[in-house]
Amino acid sequence: MKQAVYGLAGPVKKYGPLVLLGIFLLLPLLITKTYILGLLCRVLMYATLAGSLNVINGYSGQMCIGHAGFFCIGSYVEAILATRFGISFWLLLPLAGAVAALMGLMVALPTLKMRGVYLAIITLGFSEIIRLIALNWTEVTGGAMGIKNIPVPQLGGLEFSNARTYYYIFLGVAALFLFVTRRVVRSRIGRAWMSIREDQLAARSLGVNTPAYKAVNFMYGAFWAGIVGAAYAPYARFIDSTIYSLDEGFNILSMVIVGGSGTLMGPLAGSVVINALTELLRPIGQWRMVAYGVLIIVMMWFRPQGLIGASDSVLAGRDIKAKKQKAKEDAK
Amino acid sequence: MEYILNQLVNGICQGAIYAMMAIGYSVVVGVVGMVTFTHGEVIMIGAFASYYAFEMAGNHILLGLLFSFAAAWLMGACVYKICYERFFSAPRNISMLCTIGFSMVVKNLAQIVFGPNQKPMLNIVDNKIYSLGIVQISTIQIVVVITVIVSATVLSFFFNKTRWGIKLRAVSQDKTAAYMVGINVKRTAMVGNCVGCALAGVSGMLLSIYYQTLQATMGGSLGMKAFSSSVLGGLTDIRFSALGGLCLGIIENLGITFSSASFRDIFAFIFLILMLLIRPEGFASKKGARP
Repeated sequence: MKQAVYGLAGPVKKYGPLVLLGIFLLLPLLITKTYILGLLCRVLMYATLAGSLNVINGYSGQMCIGHAGFFCIGSYVEAILATRFGISFWLLLPLAGAVAALMGLMVALPTLKMRGVYLAIITLGFSEIIRLIALNWTEVTGGAMGIKNIPVPQLGGLEFSNARTYYYIFLGVAALFLFVTRRVVRSRIGRAWMSIREDQLAARSLGVNTPAYKAVNFMYGAFWAGIVGAAYAPYARFIDSTIYSLDEGFNILSMVIVGGSGTLMGPLAGSVVINALTELLRPIGQWRMVAYGVLIIVMMWFRPQGLIGASDSVLAGRDIKAKKQKAKEDAK
Repeated sequence: MEYILNQLVNGICQGAIYAMMAIGYSVVVGVVGMVTFTHGEVIMIGAFASYYAFEMAGNHILLGLLFSFAAAWLMGACVYKICYERFFSAPRNISMLCTIGFSMVVKNLAQIVFGPNQKPMLNIVDNKIYSLGIVQISTIQIVVVITVIVSATVLSFFFNKTRWGIKLRAVSQDKTAAYMVGINVKRTAMVGNCVGCALAGVSGMLLSIYYQTLQATMGGSLGMKAFSSSVLGGLTDIRFSALGGLCLGIIENLGITFSSASFRDIFAFIFLILMLLIRPEGFASKKGARP
């Protein structure tokens, strides 16, 4: 039995992602309700966004809680350049990511040598300040009026103007993100990030240039958040500063925590759970955010590593301590 | 020139309130040893407690002081029980995320219970304006500064002369050693957290009297300001945190004279970044202090 299961594991690992991608590609042809398709778009978008946060919080153990700021930068870069200068969406996608990454570098620079708390506070302030700038710099960002009529992307005569077609853009971004991140995480860079997460001092003594790797890590996360922001702006057709509040950042954070930080599939699971909850809890309005807060606390109390997360990871917190204690007692 | 001097006075007054917030923050971080993100929400709870005390019971500032102190103390006990007590031996980020979750709960519950709109604060202090030469000072400013100075004095007496204060200092210096000499560390940490939170509550009341408004979402940026101020003292030193709060208030008020008032929160952020670039460990770094 066990042999048979292990025999299956190889092909599943090899072809599983492709099959999953195929299923996701076919979904819009099967689903007729636009509402469900819109929900799927949200799930994919937030999966990428939470995944990019997970690269920062989960893989290198830094703490970013204002991820909505980078999301906001990406959206505004796309919206402003597309409406004012009519630059193509496909060009703006990487450009918005690059701008967000540059801002990420500037945010991360003062705190590279310090503990995570300082970075957390700085990102929190940064997110709020980006929102304030978007709200008050009226000549460029439109202020409280926001930016209207963002042109939809086109590709060879095909217009991505509704959820059915736009789904493919989000799917493409998510698939690309997962593919690239999987490669990066398994490379030398990813191993360096994880060594920083497990023990920064030990990583340093083994010759890992921790400040440089932390900066690269932060830039990588911000880069993808910018790309998702740029992909979101033409989908919404209208953006203003109220979308990118601190609550949005906490929303993304709760997806990472619920799904499981430090795993590739965790943010996807978190995005599915939280977006499903959002739809289910819509009737109770404001209580939704209370529910998220309670959810974060419950996860921290009982399963700090998230739904999909190894219990022996350093993120599991108490369990690993108990295990060490037990090993010590056994040794005696 | 006259305008700038007046703004300086406003800045000192506001800085006094920030100083109180920062003192609370550094007491929490120092004694418990973990950072908090609920500080802004505790400030908000203190403000609302005093508001309802004024509205239901009577128009005396001591009453509001008492109520905001008590409410924030209770909040502190809740924060400690939910976010800290279980996680003393766990990685730091777990309790930090827990405080983030708790602050989300409190903020949104407050929006439901108290309503999302701004509320006008009752007129507690009979406001008159005195002119000292070219500088003008209002009664509210005098009351605020006096309250802050009195509470800081009481706090320093509490920390230096009483048994509980010495226990708190011992726990903040070294938990294991404090445990060895027979201090109930968990209980003391809880009291320390409550004291820090209660100070934050009182500063919330002062802030709402000073601005004459209060709102359920006011906590968000205040928590960051308390943090930025206490960075000056390396997050744990009380005197330098107070100084940081004072500096922050002055910088903010001078800053908005040269730009627009909608950029108020940006100055706290710039102050924080500058502090981290110049001296990240704060000016009060002693040997053996917690980094």
